[in-house]
Amino acid sequence: MSQRKRSRGSGLTQGDDEDFSVVPTQSPSQVQRNLESRSQEEIDRKVTELVQFLLVKDQKKIPIKRVDILKKVIREYKDVYSEIVNRAGRTLQQVFGLQMVEIDTKHHIYILTSTLPRVEGENLKQDIQTAKLGLLIVILSFIFMKGNSAKDSAVWEFLRRLRLNPGEKHKVFGDVKKLVMEEFVRQKYLEITPIPLTDPPEFNFQWGPRAAKETSKKDILSFVAKVGAYGGSPFFFFFFFFFFFFGGGGAEGRP
Amino acid sequence: MGAVSRELCAVSREPDRQVLLPLCSVLGRLTWSENREDMLSSKSNRLTEALEEANQLFSGVSCAREAALDAQFLVLASNLGKEKANELRSEITTFDSLTFAEDLLTFMGINRTETEGNDSDSESMSGGYLPSNAWYKLGEEAEKYFRRAPSFHYMLGSFKSEPPVPRQRIERQRKAPGGEGKRAMPAQLKKMEESHQEATAKEVERILRLLQTLFRNDPHTPISFFDLVVDPNSFARTVENIFHVSFIVRDGLARIKLDDDKLPVIEPVQNVEERNDDHSTRARNQVVISLSHEEWREIVETYEITEPMISPPDSIEDEMETA
Repeated sequence: MSQRKRSRGSGLTQGDDEDFSVVPTQSPSQVQRNLESRSQEEIDRKVTELVQFLLVKDQKKIPIKRVDILKKVIREYKDVYSEIVNRAGRTLQQVFGLQMVEIDTKHHIYILTSTLPRVEGENLKQDIQTAKLGLLIVILSFIFMKGNSAKDSAVWEFLRRLRLNPGEKHKVFGDVKKLVMEEFVRQKYLEITPIPLTDPPEFNFQWGPRAAKETSKKDILSFVAKVGAYGGSPFFFFFFFFFFFFGGGGAEGRP
Repeated sequence: MGAVSRELCAVSREPDRQVLLPLCSVLGRLTWSENREDMLSSKSNRLTEALEEANQLFSGVSCAREAALDAQFLVLASNLGKEKANELRSEITTFDSLTFAEDLLTFMGINRTETEGNDSDSESMSGGYLPSNAWYKLGEEAEKYFRRAPSFHYMLGSFKSEPPVPRQRIERQRKAPGGEGKRAMPAQLKKMEESHQEATAKEVERILRLLQTLFRNDPHTPISFFDLVVDPNSFARTVENIFHVSFIVRDGLARIKLDDDKLPVIEPVQNVEERNDDHSTRARNQVVISLSHEEWREIVETYEITEPMISPPDSIEDEMETA
């Protein structure tokens, strides 16, 4: 069966955007019919392309939009989109131990997370991403301990005690402010919103949707307890108990 | 805050300056950030006082502009109220961020020394030297608490789309002509070919002399073909040797036959007469030898060849060879 060939040379016109913003909802029998109209190899090829696309897109930890998936990978196979995505998900799980998680149900934005339990042992690859994660967990812990949201002034005051100054260039992180306010926000690890009617403008720090999916309050609490235990502070045993048994100490999600 | 519950007056009249100015000042007080800390402190009642003051003023609100200010005030005050509530709660739970920070530094391996006179900050920061792997150490611990997908990278790098430089290709072809048949050489090399042929002839000559020397020493033992041609260090040289030896056989200067074990052996043809005879009377035999890399390896092992019988020539071309 001949398919309408989409000329790859054509640029990203308005028309393309409109086509890929909606995925047709179909009945299972419709999907089946569409599947049959295409060869097994074609579908498998698309599945492989999608898996590679997702893996490469995830390198920088920028969330992946469904619009991009449709435009750049699925293209004319839009009618079997759900089947391709399902198979890709199976491959990700079985081969890589990863899964596609939706963090924005309205705009359909996804991230990849690991489904494998963490293995105790030395991490073989330690690079700048490792260091950045160290900074991130510190900020997430602080926000959590402050009741799931913290003001930027409080956060920076805390970070200053760890020798991180928003104005100075850091040996490891470079422009710390940019890393925290831009990169972590783009990656959806942090959500930073301006507090209305503040002059000079102040910001509110909260966990981003990626943080919520990749870790949990219980995990962060364990981390805080471990670090606290390291320093031998008795406070942490107290409110480890308190928080663990009485919840996260704040509204879940937005206050 | 009774203001909002009141109906907004549809009558547009001049905003009452008596109401507007003090209202603005309350609003201003709440917005001014320096005041915020004071407002939020659990020890102060400033926020409550401001609220009461505004509430009283609102009894005079009767037109749209004042009501708008009223609404703005509502938003601001409720934000402050929420923040104050937050502050209160954290005081109850006593999260000591200072201690937490110190504990983090300890975890990262800070080396606390009292001797050095550290630059005195207004905030009392603990002195000490943070090692360069501090954040990496913390990051390594952090990974245990995340289900982060590892970044995917190709191990051998990504595919380079540019074709290899032609220059390399020419050099490769010069190095290994091969007994399996000459490859078509590009036009530019025609000039080289003559000197190449000279080199071939020289090689053939050299190998023939070697063969004759070996036989002079032991005239009655034919030499194993593979022992002669195989170079255990280079597959390419082995093929070249076969190529050169084939010239010797073609010219009737040596003869290849199978011995009792059906293995090929080579012996020089001594008799001049025999040589001439060979050309005209004897039937010509054509043999195609194919040798794969694996087969070559097997021969090296089976025959236990450790050194090449035909030593590599030291011509300039072969100096460029990478074995």
